[in-house]
Amino acid sequence: MSKKLAACLLAAALPLSAGAAPEAYTVDPLHSFPYFEADHFGFSWVRGRFDKMAGKFTIDTAARTGAVELTIQTATITTGDNVRGERPRSRDEHLRTADFFNAAEFPSMSFRGNTTKWNGDAPAAIDGQLTLLGVTRPLTLAVIHWKCGPDPRAQGKRYVCGGNFTGSIRRSDYGMKFMIPGVGDEVKLWIGIEAFRD
Amino acid sequence: MSKKLAACLVAAALPLSASAAPESYVIDPYHTIPYWETDHLGFTTMRGRFDKPTGKFTIDTAAKTGTLEIVIETKTLSTGDSERDARSRTRDEHLRTPDFFNVTEFPTMTYKATSVKFVGDNPDALEGDLTLLGVTKPVSLKLLRWRCGPDPRTQGKRYQCGGNATGTFKRSDFGMKFGIGPIGDEVTLWMSFYGFRQ
Repeated sequence: MSKKLAACLLAAALPLSAGAAPEAYTVDPLHSFPYFEADHFGFSWVRGRFDKMAGKFTIDTAARTGAVELTIQTATITTGDNVRGERPRSRDEHLRTADFFNAAEFPSMSFRGNTTKWNGDAPAAIDGQLTLLGVTRPLTLAVIHWKCGPDPRAQGKRYVCGGNFTGSIRRSDYGMKFMIPGVGDEVKLWIGIEAFRD
Repeated sequence: MSKKLAACLVAAALPLSASAAPESYVIDPYHTIPYWETDHLGFTTMRGRFDKPTGKFTIDTAAKTGTLEIVIETKTLSTGDSERDARSRTRDEHLRTPDFFNVTEFPTMTYKATSVKFVGDNPDALEGDLTLLGVTKPVSLKLLRWRCGPDPRTQGKRYQCGGNATGTFKRSDFGMKFGIGPIGDEVTLWMSFYGFRQ
């Protein structure tokens, strides 16, 4: 092997750049959160979050391929009302019941998808499937922000890819029909993710 | 008084319509949910929420004026990270320290509208003062949604106005300078809100 080729290969292997082969990443659960919004009686959109999401993805920037898997713990739903007070239950408690997420029977919801559109070096769309209440339906996530680079918190010793993703579902498609249309059928999704290269 | 005039006055007094004088509303703490978001290392957008704000607003559709005062308990902040595991503190705990919201010394942040701009019969934007960490600066809010009507959850017995609002500010203007650069200076607020007519 020539010195030039060796130097080139060595440079390609440096952790401070995106490699030219599939790379595996693990989602950082402390900086990755899915949010949702639904119409509330035609007056406002009310937003909530799930606190626990795990996931992985592989991405090959040169070949423009990628696959992602996300799992969300449904019991970690939080919408700003988790203390009953004098009521029989709080909103978050109600959301965990079989009226909505049925967290006891379906402790997780998951998304699996592949990048299908790219914008230069960044994925632009992920086509996949969402499994919610045990029902699986197609879901496409748009990538509205994407960035990869060395992690400034780790003096560059760790490499991160992160971004923001949006999509929307009709909850009735998954059998979650309670209170439609008072609480909207269409639910907008927003997911923020940071992931460390393995 | 003629029967027609009396009927007209009775109709005007019915709770199911907006009247032509300033009306007072008390904030619904369960559906008034302020969120904030800011850039995190350029990789993703970090969001957080405050729970159960209190407050009131008045609106005079005929005179096209309004007031708003909302009080947020800063310790209610939550960003989805509240379990330490092996760490010395969670992000939410860090946010409560003097590095950020200093909740011990500044248990509340408040917004007081100083003027309301209408478009037709509906409020469209607010000018007002945000007081955060004891510092007061002007912040504008834009109404994304606004609707008044009988509350369907009470068979129309309660009258409400609700919607969504958004605005931005620089946290450094209020003295919250920790981590600016890696963590954004510009903070975007987004909230759902409701008030019940008194």
